[in-house]
Amino acid sequence: MRFPGMLKASAVLTLTATLAACGGGAPEAPATDAASGPHELDGATHDELVELAVEEGTVTVYSFTSRIASVEAEFEAAYPGIDLIGHDISSSEQITRLLAEAQAGTPSADVAYISDAPVVITELVAGGILQNYVPQRVAETVPEEYREPLLANRLSTKILMYNEDAHPDGTPVENLWQLTEEEWNGRVVMVDPGVRGDYLDLVTEIVRRSDAMAEAHLDLFGSEVVLDDGVENAGQQFIKDLYANGLVLVDDTDNVNAAVGATGQDDPPVGFTSYSDRRDNEEEGWALQASLETAPSPGITFPAYIGMVNGSGSPAASRLVADFLMGDDSETGGAAFDPFYVPGDYPVRTDMTAPEGAVSLEELSAWDIDPEETAQIRDDVSDFLLTL
Amino acid sequence: MTTAPAPRRTTVGRTAARVRTTLRQPTVVLGAGTLLVLAVLVVAPLAGLVNTTLMDGNREAWTDVFASPMSENLLWRPMSNSVLLGTATAVGSTVIGGFLAWVVVMTRIPGRGVLGLLATIPFALPSFALALAWESVFRNDLIGGSTGILVNLGIGVPDWLAWGPVPIAATLTAHYFSLSFMLIAAALASVNGDLMEAAELTGASTLRVARDIALPVVAPAVVSGALLAFAEGVSNFVTPALLGLPVRFHTLSTRLYGAISTGDVSRGYVLSIVLILVAAMIMYASTRITGGRRSFATITGKGGRRRGIELGVWGRPVAAAAWVLVTFTTVVPGLVLVLSSLTRRTNDFASGLTLHYWIGDSDPALAQGQRGILNNPQILQATWNTVLLGVTVAVCAGVLGLLVSYVITRSNGPRWLPGTLGVVSFVPFLIPGIALGAAFIAQFGAPIGPLPSLYGTFAILVLAGVAATIPFSVRSGTSALSQVSRDVEESAVLAGAGLFRRIGAVIAPLTARGLFTGGVLVFVQMVRDLSLVVLLATPAMPVLAVLTYQYSSENFTQSANAVTVVIAVISVSATILARRFEGAAQPWNSNS
Repeated sequence: MRFPGMLKASAVLTLTATLAACGGGAPEAPATDAASGPHELDGATHDELVELAVEEGTVTVYSFTSRIASVEAEFEAAYPGIDLIGHDISSSEQITRLLAEAQAGTPSADVAYISDAPVVITELVAGGILQNYVPQRVAETVPEEYREPLLANRLSTKILMYNEDAHPDGTPVENLWQLTEEEWNGRVVMVDPGVRGDYLDLVTEIVRRSDAMAEAHLDLFGSEVVLDDGVENAGQQFIKDLYANGLVLVDDTDNVNAAVGATGQDDPPVGFTSYSDRRDNEEEGWALQASLETAPSPGITFPAYIGMVNGSGSPAASRLVADFLMGDDSETGGAAFDPFYVPGDYPVRTDMTAPEGAVSLEELSAWDIDPEETAQIRDDVSDFLLTL
Repeated sequence: MTTAPAPRRTTVGRTAARVRTTLRQPTVVLGAGTLLVLAVLVVAPLAGLVNTTLMDGNREAWTDVFASPMSENLLWRPMSNSVLLGTATAVGSTVIGGFLAWVVVMTRIPGRGVLGLLATIPFALPSFALALAWESVFRNDLIGGSTGILVNLGIGVPDWLAWGPVPIAATLTAHYFSLSFMLIAAALASVNGDLMEAAELTGASTLRVARDIALPVVAPAVVSGALLAFAEGVSNFVTPALLGLPVRFHTLSTRLYGAISTGDVSRGYVLSIVLILVAAMIMYASTRITGGRRSFATITGKGGRRRGIELGVWGRPVAAAAWVLVTFTTVVPGLVLVLSSLTRRTNDFASGLTLHYWIGDSDPALAQGQRGILNNPQILQATWNTVLLGVTVAVCAGVLGLLVSYVITRSNGPRWLPGTLGVVSFVPFLIPGIALGAAFIAQFGAPIGPLPSLYGTFAILVLAGVAATIPFSVRSGTSALSQVSRDVEESAVLAGAGLFRRIGAVIAPLTARGLFTGGVLVFVQMVRDLSLVVLLATPAMPVLAVLTYQYSSENFTQSANAVTVVIAVISVSATILARRFEGAAQPWNSNS
């Protein structure tokens, strides 16, 4: 049981495009020009940045994880003249806040460390509120999809997990379509994708990968998928069948973890959650394990972005923070990256090794979301869910 | 309307004359003034909401909601669920709150002072504490994971009792009956003892006295309480999400929050406009039903002392019922909350208890090295900010609320004025807090003429707080004011007192009890509410609710719960202090 998410949800209902409530008056144009060209400091050397950044003195970072506190300490040790002010703010709240601040012409952050990729790309980057900066040092080692349109430093997951206490010989689910069969009726748990964006991204990806889903259907049942009326593809049909098979929707990820992971259950459910939550197994008494061999894929990976806030008063220090968040040149990223070096999360840099205790990204074989393509069909998928 | 139309010139002349007369009435001027303030605080943000849904590219949100294959799941079913929950919460809260208010104020049951205090606490507890308390008893194996006490004892719990409308309505009622209790108790306390004694002397039974004397007198408070409970019932998100989603039970609020959090803001706003309209209709209907009844002025300046009702053989059962009610709505959820801040593993009461999350030093093995909350200087700063904010908003909203409710109850100017004020002052309740917060940033975030940007200041928190809590202060002000007889005020007029003098020197002291009640409601609401302040409170100015949110979103559940306990303690202390204070302010009610 848990209630963290309750506050989360209740409170921060995560607004997004809040340009909205523009106080009845005409909304003012964002104070800054839309996605203009590269910033003058984008080509500056590290030493030039440090010199300017010390003059700027402070840099404010919005971060979707509290681990920014450790980053703050490390950053200030590395750059004694610069005060990093880190604020722990959820992604959806950051989006609302950055939009409202841009609209009011009072940006109060310099750097945004943020997930919720489809909305960030379509609302913040396209709207010119966040700008991209790729430190030259890492330009070679970060694959292009994590350099453009915004730099990412690591990937997180939403994948199928099972209870390894009850299934010591590996995953009981070899094919996602099994979840639509009687055996798993009422025993699949996930957060309601109608309430939480990252789960909507997961469902959207399943629809986007309809061909793979169709193939997996053929593998398991030896027959082609038969589409119901109003269903356009195999992905949608899977979602529809999953819902019809008593899929249990809850409000929060921890609810999924506790339901799937709690030890001592005779017949525990399976559910979609974060691979990295395995690190809480011992502390919480769970037996969560990733369902690795599930075809066509156990779930999705998605990026954690580093964005430069347009109109920031500390452009040099912001760029130093981005550089810092990418980790040092060692295999583990060093002290700078340490807070993010968690099994089940994956650094994007090709010259870093993934943390011990979780399988490699290749072995995980999760689908990596494409934020722009996801954003295109996300609303349609959300509408489809509303008809179920 | 059926008379022959008068010549045009005369009509205009008459209208002009009427305007001149009207303008000379101070209540009209006051009404216009307060309406202007409310226009800035309430109407403008609301217009912003509507405006957004009408912008290019957002308009299809209306057809999506009202006329698409999704309408059934997005609008109609959630709407009927919301109305059902709101009604159940209003009825349940009125019955329970009214019963407890009667026990505490009118009877001589031992320990009624403590009862009265405990009955105000559920409102100060977070909704999830009550939902969690329900789950810890009734949770069945639908989701998986751990089960509640009953199932563990081998007693099967059907889904309808563990999930869906029944548990949601029950927990919402347990949460919001405090509102009805506080308002009705304040009204009952001002019932004229002479009337009751007169009735008893004529041989009326206790029940008859309650029904024929007390009930009509407290009617405005009952209606106010029911309306607040209704509005809270339809707008609460936490409880339906926790107890409803597993059986796919959606309400307008879960759909609204879902739409907004998955990035479809305009659809969310359309739903919130629907929510506002539905509640406005219910409110209109209820005032039509009760509006025909003259309100009963009970504070006449001649009041007598009351004595408690003797219950005879009914004493024990009534006392037992009252104690059971407060035990299950206050003591049990309170204990659940405190214990869950002490558990070593999240909400696992068998995992052992620890004070680490309260007073521990940083330990990397627990909660990623977060210190115990009492060991954290940020908490102290946030506590101070929170209390200051609560008090400031309570005072400002109290003054504005008193003025608005004075116009509503006393205006003899144009008929539409009190009605408009009543509706406008109720609306903020139904605007999702975060939308209101965003609207305030948009409205006051940029400099307006010579006024500087208020973004990140304490002032913007106060302004938004007043806007968000004005329904509380107006409702409690109205129910308190409608009990003050006009003859009291007329004597003041004869003595030459002007409008503001009368409000300050006569009305305010006489309605102190009701106003304090409203003030406490506002304070508690501000201290515990997160959705409004989450955007407005910049990280440089932390408040407790935001810290709870941060802890919980990082899954530091115990720390989050510990901060929640601090919030509850502040709220409860405020309630206790206010009761002492109001006792001193109204010596003629000291026997209550």
